[in-house]
Amino acid sequence: MNPPFFVEVLNRSGEVRHRQRVDALPIRIGRGYDNDFILDDRHACPHHAIIERSCEGDISIRDLDSKNGVILKGSRCERASLDGNTIFRLGHTPLRLRSVDFPTDDALTDTTLHQWEGWPPAMTGVLVILLLTLAGEWFTDTEKFEPIRYVTASVGVLSMSLLWCGTWALANRLFAGHMRIGRHLFITACGLLVSEIISLLCSISAYAFSLEVFTRYDSHLAMAVVSGMVYFHLLTINPAHKKSFALTGVIVSLMGSVVILMINFQSKGYLADELFMSEMFSPAWRMSSDKPASDFLAETRKLKDIVDTERARPVSGDLADDEGEKNGN
Amino acid sequence: MTDRIKTMTVSATLATCTSFLMALWLAGAAAEAQLAPPSSSAQHIYSQAKPDLLQLRVLLKSGHTQSSVGSGFLIGTSHLVVTNYHVMSQIALEPETYTGEYIDTNGRRGAVELLAVDVLHDLAVVRIDRPGSGFFTVPEQLPTLTQGQYLYSLGNPLDLGFAISEGAYNGVISRGFYDQLMFTGPINAGMSGGPNMTVDGQVAGVNVSKRQDGELVSFLVPARYVRDLLKKVAGQKQTPKDFKILTGLQLLEHQALMMDRLEKTPLTFKVLGPYRVPAWESDQVRCWGQSNAKQSKPYTVDEVNCAIESRIYVSDQLETGMIAINHKFLKSRELGVWQFSSLAGASFKDQGMGGHKDTRYTQAQCREQFVSNGKLPMRAVICLRAYRKFPELYDFALMTASTDESRMSLQSRLDARGVSFENGLRISRIFIEGISRESRP
Repeated sequence: MNPPFFVEVLNRSGEVRHRQRVDALPIRIGRGYDNDFILDDRHACPHHAIIERSCEGDISIRDLDSKNGVILKGSRCERASLDGNTIFRLGHTPLRLRSVDFPTDDALTDTTLHQWEGWPPAMTGVLVILLLTLAGEWFTDTEKFEPIRYVTASVGVLSMSLLWCGTWALANRLFAGHMRIGRHLFITACGLLVSEIISLLCSISAYAFSLEVFTRYDSHLAMAVVSGMVYFHLLTINPAHKKSFALTGVIVSLMGSVVILMINFQSKGYLADELFMSEMFSPAWRMSSDKPASDFLAETRKLKDIVDTERARPVSGDLADDEGEKNGN
Repeated sequence: MTDRIKTMTVSATLATCTSFLMALWLAGAAAEAQLAPPSSSAQHIYSQAKPDLLQLRVLLKSGHTQSSVGSGFLIGTSHLVVTNYHVMSQIALEPETYTGEYIDTNGRRGAVELLAVDVLHDLAVVRIDRPGSGFFTVPEQLPTLTQGQYLYSLGNPLDLGFAISEGAYNGVISRGFYDQLMFTGPINAGMSGGPNMTVDGQVAGVNVSKRQDGELVSFLVPARYVRDLLKKVAGQKQTPKDFKILTGLQLLEHQALMMDRLEKTPLTFKVLGPYRVPAWESDQVRCWGQSNAKQSKPYTVDEVNCAIESRIYVSDQLETGMIAINHKFLKSRELGVWQFSSLAGASFKDQGMGGHKDTRYTQAQCREQFVSNGKLPMRAVICLRAYRKFPELYDFALMTASTDESRMSLQSRLDARGVSFENGLRISRIFIEGISRESRP
């Protein structure tokens, strides 16, 4: 390591908050104004530590009998040698020393679409959300046409979306310095679009191929789409943490699914979203063949076995119920 | 929906008395005004019947507070008292929680012991510690009644005191599966189980219920069923230990009779658009229709509801032994295919069998499938649940929706309550096979 040197103050996640150039060794560090590097940390001594060249020729830091010491990898030490990657802590402040000859990485390839910021994605998002709402309303409109229903639906969905995006934009401003609300709106719109398409495909394929399981558990797919949205929102705030955000998305999705199952079981007594599939479409879309009605009814015997087994079990909470009956009289 | 409500009010015959009994015994003053002033023959009957007339109370074993009250009468010079099953139902079903006592017109009290129940006709026989004076008899040869003749009901209305009321006999009602007599006179809650007399002091029947939507339309259990039950008690070597089992067996008997009667009546059909649907319309199964055809709606819904109007009262929480059918025909020329799909879907959605926390039944189990009966392709769902207290009894719900037209939907539902598994399956089969398409539109 050759002079000049740079003392770098880091934050907890290892990013540089600021750096100061020092031309020669030794570098005295502390809160006092007679130091080479003044450390604004109430847990640091006026004369806390000194960085100097040791007898062996390498650069090291030495504790000047400070109250809280020099901490390296969690333990206090009197003296430690430093290279450009050693992070040491004085008081509450993580620090690093680098010299002018420290090798730096190549620039990252820029994958961000800088023209896809601001108004273009925002307007596209709003348009997609509006079209989705109008289409959804139209598909389920079984009354005489009244424009006000379409207007109220659009206003409702749009304001919910804006609330969601606004929260993400605020987080973006907080952690990355700018809002990127256009991007967040676009992500929201894409999420809504994907979830609508998935739910429609689920319904149609359940109807066409007798795959009832698709409609009985489709809320879990919606949950997966929501966590996908969360992943992209987080990535918009900070593109550096792809992996940990992906993990966050998976965890959100799994936890959401567990909560859905628990709520269903608590309120309905079964895990599925509905007791049976109620979707009806045009008969032309039926692909799988119908079962003979008598075969279908014969299967009821299996249900009998299930309810007979349940009847044989004692009822939990029967006592509490009897209490209720008495009070009812 | 309105039809359903109609069905409920009309079919409240058996249950009326008890529900009223529990709810209104405090609001006595208003009801008292209904009682007509007794005629001289009423005075005569009352003075003779008085010693053998009883009030029966069901008490909570813990604390001895009264839970429900009814009336009863001592037969001949025996210790046997006739009353309604629904007065004694708590003792029959939950003997560990409830007990009974009688109070006679002199205020004397004593314990009652349940000897026999007839759930289907709503009768019970209990034994007490004092004999009758011999006024009430139920001989082999019962009096013949003619429409319009005076009858007198005795009992303890609304726990206010013993009373007699006068009315007219108006024939046999066979809307239920078991005959009842129509009595056009006031019967109030608390008089359940009391005797109904002819002017010359013969037992005509037992007070059982009244119509809440009518004026003075009351019902009696015919005396011949009392006679039959007393015969059974006479031949009974020992008192049955578990009346729950007995009740279960009688419910099984009822559903067998109900199914037998249904199968003997020729299956009737109703026409809804191009479809033909089964209805079983008969004396016992009544049908109503309704339509929403309005200018403001771009679609029409025609409905047919058929149901057995009587139910068997088992307890305050349970009435069973009935069959109900609902056919709904949705049609639209104005709506697009997508919109009609969502209309039909919404109408088919969220049908179930009630909450899963109900301790009377097991949780309902369902199967769904696209099926065809050879005449019509349908989407079908069948649900089944079992009665926890009564083995061999089940509730069935079968729901179908036609899948042959894109702007027409026939949605049907069959409910069979308190039937054996085989009978439930049989009626479901007849129902699903009975749905067909008659013509092209």
